Amino acid sequence: MTAAGRDVAPDAGADRVDADGRADAPVVDVRARRGLTLSELVLLAVLAVLFGFLYWALVQAWAALQIAMGPFGDLAQHVLIGGWMVVAPLAIYIVRKPGVGVVVELVAALVEFAFLASPVGPMLLLVGLVQGVGAELAFTLTRYRRYGWWVFVASGVTAALASTLLGTVRYGWHLQDLFALRVGLQVVSGIVLCGLLARVLGDALARTGVLDETALGRERRARRAAAEVPA
Amino acid sequence: MTTAGRTAPGPTALARRDPTVVLGTLLVVSLLLLVPVDPWTPGALLVAAVAAARAGGVPWRTLLRGAATFGPFAVSVLAVNLVTRPGVPVAHVAGLTVTDVGALVGAGLAVRTLLVGTLAVVVASSLDPVRLVTSLHQRVGLTSRAAAALLAGHRVLEQLPARWVAVRQAQAARLPGPRPRRPGRLPASPRLLGRAAFTLLVVTLRQAQQMAVALETRGVGSGPRTVHRPVPLGPGDGVLAATALGVVLLVGLVTWRLGLLETWGTVGR
Amino acid sequence: MIEATGLRVRWPHTADDVLAGVDLRVDAGERVLLLGTSGSGKSTLLRALAGVVPQQVDASTWGDVRVAGHRVLSPTAPGAPAVPTTTTAVLARDVGTLTQDPWAQLCLPTVEDEVASGLEHRGVPRAQIGRRVREALLAVGAAHLRGRRTAELSGGEGQRVALATVLAARPRVLLLDEPTALLDPAAATAVAHALRRAATGRATLLVEHRLDEQGADEQGADEPARRGTDEARSDGGATDGQDAAAGLPGRVVVLGPAGRVLADGPTADVLRDLAHDLAALGTWLPWWAELAAARVRDLADLPAVAPARAPDDAPVLLQSRDLVVRRGDRTAVAGASLDVRAGRVTAVVGLNGSGKSSLLLALAGLLPAEGVVRGARPALVLQRPEQQLLARTVRDEVAWGPRRARLPDADARTDAALAAHGLTGLAGADPFRLSGGQQRRLAVAAVTVGDHEVVLADEPTFGQDRATWRTCARALRGLADAGRGVVLVTHDVRLVAEVADDVLVLRDGRVLAHGPVDAVLRAGALPRAGLPLPPAVRAALADGRPVAAVLGALAARVGEHAVAGVPA
Repeated sequence: MTAAGRDVAPDAGADRVDADGRADAPVVDVRARRGLTLSELVLLAVLAVLFGFLYWALVQAWAALQIAMGPFGDLAQHVLIGGWMVVAPLAIYIVRKPGVGVVVELVAALVEFAFLASPVGPMLLLVGLVQGVGAELAFTLTRYRRYGWWVFVASGVTAALASTLLGTVRYGWHLQDLFALRVGLQVVSGIVLCGLLARVLGDALARTGVLDETALGRERRARRAAAEVPA
Repeated sequence: MTTAGRTAPGPTALARRDPTVVLGTLLVVSLLLLVPVDPWTPGALLVAAVAAARAGGVPWRTLLRGAATFGPFAVSVLAVNLVTRPGVPVAHVAGLTVTDVGALVGAGLAVRTLLVGTLAVVVASSLDPVRLVTSLHQRVGLTSRAAAALLAGHRVLEQLPARWVAVRQAQAARLPGPRPRRPGRLPASPRLLGRAAFTLLVVTLRQAQQMAVALETRGVGSGPRTVHRPVPLGPGDGVLAATALGVVLLVGLVTWRLGLLETWGTVGR
Repeated sequence: MIEATGLRVRWPHTADDVLAGVDLRVDAGERVLLLGTSGSGKSTLLRALAGVVPQQVDASTWGDVRVAGHRVLSPTAPGAPAVPTTTTAVLARDVGTLTQDPWAQLCLPTVEDEVASGLEHRGVPRAQIGRRVREALLAVGAAHLRGRRTAELSGGEGQRVALATVLAARPRVLLLDEPTALLDPAAATAVAHALRRAATGRATLLVEHRLDEQGADEQGADEPARRGTDEARSDGGATDGQDAAAGLPGRVVVLGPAGRVLADGPTADVLRDLAHDLAALGTWLPWWAELAAARVRDLADLPAVAPARAPDDAPVLLQSRDLVVRRGDRTAVAGASLDVRAGRVTAVVGLNGSGKSSLLLALAGLLPAEGVVRGARPALVLQRPEQQLLARTVRDEVAWGPRRARLPDADARTDAALAAHGLTGLAGADPFRLSGGQQRRLAVAAVTVGDHEVVLADEPTFGQDRATWRTCARALRGLADAGRGVVLVTHDVRLVAEVADDVLVLRDGRVLAHGPVDAVLRAGALPRAGLPLPPAVRAALADGRPVAAVLGALAARVGEHAVAGVPA
């Protein structure tokens, strides 16, 4: 959370001058700050916590699926993998600033392993980093300006491929018989449970009004207003 | 629920160390553990880790809970590797061929899962969130606003289990029909669970927005901050990191000298 | 300290102003009470003064606002929109804000860290923090809570800790947005007293519904009251020598529905002269002003007709015998027996933590319990209606139960319920987008649409203004009058007195009293359970006629005059 969350230009000094009541001080809108606002940081932290918790619950589902799949239980993770990455595209969809996908995956991983204890251990931080970067890549390439369905599909694919690369390093998947099957399952899961699910969830949440004060909420509000009053 | 909401550190030796150092050491150790794929190296380290945890005051209950949680994963990793690795066939089970390499790597990855799981449980049970965030602020330059946001996130995490139950109760109260046969037993159909999860998401995000405003009106990010209870960095932290890394390297050296150490580069040759 | 000129606020993409040109000046040391109907922009005004609007909540703004020497909002050119010129966080170094929900304000795991955090972020030197934390906790009567975990605090304790966090920073201005709305009476009185002590020497702007409790004696609080005897006068308020406005701030500002200041003056004068206008706006009044709004000097002047109620031998719809509820290793309810009868309202009362919510959940079959519960599955309306939402539109929300029960006339029932609760115009809206009052109406509509014989409601009037309160009370009484059995769990004694037939008093999980409402009130069981009687109920008891009849007559009279007195 460090790099993206670094305070930009603390404006305390400037305000202190105004506090003395100089009426002729220039009028400067303090909203014009770069970087992430506190509201956005808290939103990201809470999203990370919620999804860290859900991910942790998904690990329990994974255990059940593993046992159900017998000797091929290890493949269960590929079916579910997309679900472990959904918060990254969701956070980017809501906040629309660079880096938030990576940050939110990292914090979710920290929550999952440091507070809830996960069998993957601290490697989760690395996993979160790689998955976050993978999911964010599609949005970086469209410069955080496009949020159509196909961008989310692309995000799911890049996330799945990044995650496959990491798995190959960690477990030597490339030396096994099932490599193609693993990659195929991961990509399908990435598209459905990561990319598309993020878009569906984001739209459903925006409808309830809890995201009104975010980039997503503002965009939807402006679009609705434009639809009502044709310019 | 393993440790959700339970944050007061027990009187373990680890709880007194700097959390950033503890997490950093754990991360490095688990990176080093990526190298060996034989069962002997992580096996020896597992014995050492359990001994150290007991000596540091971690109760058996915590360790056994870890084993119970991570056991199925270890078994599953073993099972799939047994039958999917090329190598010399040593047995045939239900039409599948078990190879020697599969047995070796499977056992290695399974023991590694148990070892990392044990370490994770020990650390999670001794970590105080405020000390962790303060320490991250002091050591690695986490900003005051990011620190406040993380702690707000932790408050949400603490309340999550109770809120989950409250939402499920509230929604169960809407069901028509006869009295539930077993009082207190909440309906668990996937649709209702999904709906409860969504409602949980909405009410929690609304709380997040209110907390963000509360933090703003408390001056978070208004300028340089002070720290009421700094986390001290002492020689004990250096000793902890050096000992942990030293033991890992030493065990690796011993298994290598004994010809037991295997990596992805050597296995099956 | 506070200087707002021509403050206008408008939400994005809307046509009307929430605040339409407010001028307000509050000096150092002055306490001001802000009254107005729901949606009149009271909270918006406080949030604009704190910088939250438009910095954390989007809005268009006009006017010039200065608080504690900071330029909060400044016009870019004469008459042009105003922009925020001091960040909320910097402003917070001199301005303290307290809102109603402690759970949305406490952000750290322990009380000491919580109070210290306000000082850390304002850059107070480390050496001073410990002492100032202790002082602030002492000032709000919460010194004993310093080592506690925030998650374990009750609502009243949480709110006092939140107040200590605000006070520790020694703000010059206090903005208080219904700080006691979510508390039980004992906790509300304790917090009100702590707030009054805290106001000394500061400019304070207070939005508050519970005016009677502001002046009440501190009862059940864990620290003896340390009130100055002449406190009301020392506020600079003209009290006409009468004790009428004691405990209330000396000055009151009334915001009208159009977002303008309707009145601004000494509390006693404004409340007396505008009593019926204020009642028309739906705001609560102190007891003496309520009498003024009804244009009577004494309740004896009112003709009271006892309302027709179902007899106490009406059929039993839901019954519990020796119900014991355990939560963890605590016994929340230790043996409660209750008959819910058709057409009757039973109130379960007690302070927070007395076990009343556990009893309710057990009656609904949502908590395991020992003992006997017999009868149909009841419907349940909970404190936070948003947790009960299941659908994506208001209409689907109401239709959810009937559709699930496969009732053939589900659509017709839904339409009728929407109309009956004034929700037809909102049928297509997302239920999460409704205001608190609308959500509560939705919850009641979603319950009444089905065939449940018994309806249970948990704190149905929690934190509501007078108009919403009245609507809610009527709806609940209406359910019973239509033949259902109703159970209310509440610490709102006025609600009990007006709509309940029977009352069960709980303290620490034990039944302290149980019987017809007038008898239990006269026996003094409620004060023994920590629930002081509000002045209206005390006066109605003293009157001698049935309490519900007297209070009903008063409500009718106030409503009559209020309607006649609505300003054009």
